[in-house]
Amino acid sequence: MRAIRAIAVNTFREAIRDRILYLFIGFAIVMVISTKLFGMLTVGDESKIVKDIGLAAMQFFSMLIAVMMSMLLISREVDNRTVFNILSKPVRRWQFILGKYLGLVAIVAVNLLLITVILVVMVLIYTGQFDPMLVFAAFMTMLEMSVVAAFATLFAVLTRPILGSLMTLAMFVVGHTSADLWMLTRHLPGTLTRAVITVVYYLVPNLERFNFKTEVVHDLPIHLAAVGWAVVYASAFVAVLLFLAALRFQTKDLK
Amino acid sequence: MSRRIISLVIIAALLGVAVGSEVELGKIPREDPLGRELLYLPSPEMLKIMSLGNSGLVADILYLWSIQYYSGFKPNERFLYLETIYNLITDLDPLYFDAYRIGALIMEIQTSGDQVRLKETVRRLFDKGLENLPESWQLAEAAAWDLFMRFHDQEAALHYAEIAAVRPGAPARIDRMVGVWRDKEQAWTIDDSIEYWRRAVDDAENEYGRAMSVSHLYDAVTAKDRGALEAILAYYSERHESCAQSWEELIAAGFIGEIPLDLMGNPYGIDSSACTIVAFKKIRDQ
Repeated sequence: MRAIRAIAVNTFREAIRDRILYLFIGFAIVMVISTKLFGMLTVGDESKIVKDIGLAAMQFFSMLIAVMMSMLLISREVDNRTVFNILSKPVRRWQFILGKYLGLVAIVAVNLLLITVILVVMVLIYTGQFDPMLVFAAFMTMLEMSVVAAFATLFAVLTRPILGSLMTLAMFVVGHTSADLWMLTRHLPGTLTRAVITVVYYLVPNLERFNFKTEVVHDLPIHLAAVGWAVVYASAFVAVLLFLAALRFQTKDLK
Repeated sequence: MSRRIISLVIIAALLGVAVGSEVELGKIPREDPLGRELLYLPSPEMLKIMSLGNSGLVADILYLWSIQYYSGFKPNERFLYLETIYNLITDLDPLYFDAYRIGALIMEIQTSGDQVRLKETVRRLFDKGLENLPESWQLAEAAAWDLFMRFHDQEAALHYAEIAAVRPGAPARIDRMVGVWRDKEQAWTIDDSIEYWRRAVDDAENEYGRAMSVSHLYDAVTAKDRGALEAILAYYSERHESCAQSWEELIAAGFIGEIPLDLMGNPYGIDSSACTIVAFKKIRDQ
């Protein structure tokens, strides 16, 4: 446990020294603050536009940070041979992967926290009211990002950084469209095609399960069961992906 | 001259060429390119998929764009693909109140073209909104007023006002509005009006609402009394060849038992020159 924590803390420290992180965070903050401009262009409820853009920025930049940082953090350790220093100590390979993943999740969490605070303040300025649902939306985005980061960690172990980034981005896109794939099965004639798509649907995480933006923006009720099951769903996928990553890293030739 | 200054001059010159080109390009008249682009708008299903869970944001972008784009038109111009655009926005975010409200307003600005078809288009957008926002009395009220003021369609206005009145949280003034519009309909009798406004007085949420409803009730009761009392005045005039000057004359002649009072308990007056009754409406002092 101590080894995992040490790796996670070091990963976090290493990441916050990276300029690319500040670039993403900077863009995200500028985007959230610039919602004021978009609000000025609208006729009607400005806060809806502020929330929509803020929540999208929250998701998009968190995803970029998760993808880019995971690739950089693991590949750097291997390329700079620092991984040997770590693994020569009483640290198991799976602990290294888990520590890296937790460090990455911590970076994403800090980024999300920062964007959420700014978004909450922006909405407070517009409406004069604190909207706790934005914090809930940030929590759900964090769940989504924990799955994306787990994919990024797996691909970082499986392949080269650029290809891994592209594959994680592809998973993000597929994860958001898999529900539509599922809908497609209803219109397909062949049972085999339908079965294949069904299998694909269940193997790829449906990231729309973490998307409560409509409910948050329009103040709609949210079923607690939907949130509870989403937590279970994310945890299960993260566990599976990290397990696979650890398995692959166990036998990976790092030379 | 140092290399740095030469570099700066070159950059400034190139930027000048770029800015100059943009200015010149802006002067060249072009046919409405956006209108043509609208022909290739993707379907809402496709946009939803492409938005990766941010269909509300895509709806916002389209809505913002539509406001800027259509505000460039003149009222007598035909607004291109207006219904398509607002259907797309409201398919992407069915709960987007402003898109229904402002979309209908933009449609209503057009003064050229087939106004009957335009009204149907506006109604379709409102109907879609009312279906997707089943708790919004505000949209139903907006629809009622738009149909009443812009298209002078009393029947459609009443239809939407009645929808607004029964929605949760609807203020009492909408009930009054329904009553006023019903009063203007032929099929609606004075007795119906009296009953309607009596209920509105009982259901009023505050003093202002109550006073407004009492005012309408007063008018309805007076209209009914006027019918009965003016018939008596006419009968008296026929018999005496002149209009009665006071209620006492009618009581003395045995036409009525006592001086008729209005809703507030004040006596009606008689305008003998026109041989009609006069109501001294005083609601607030009561």
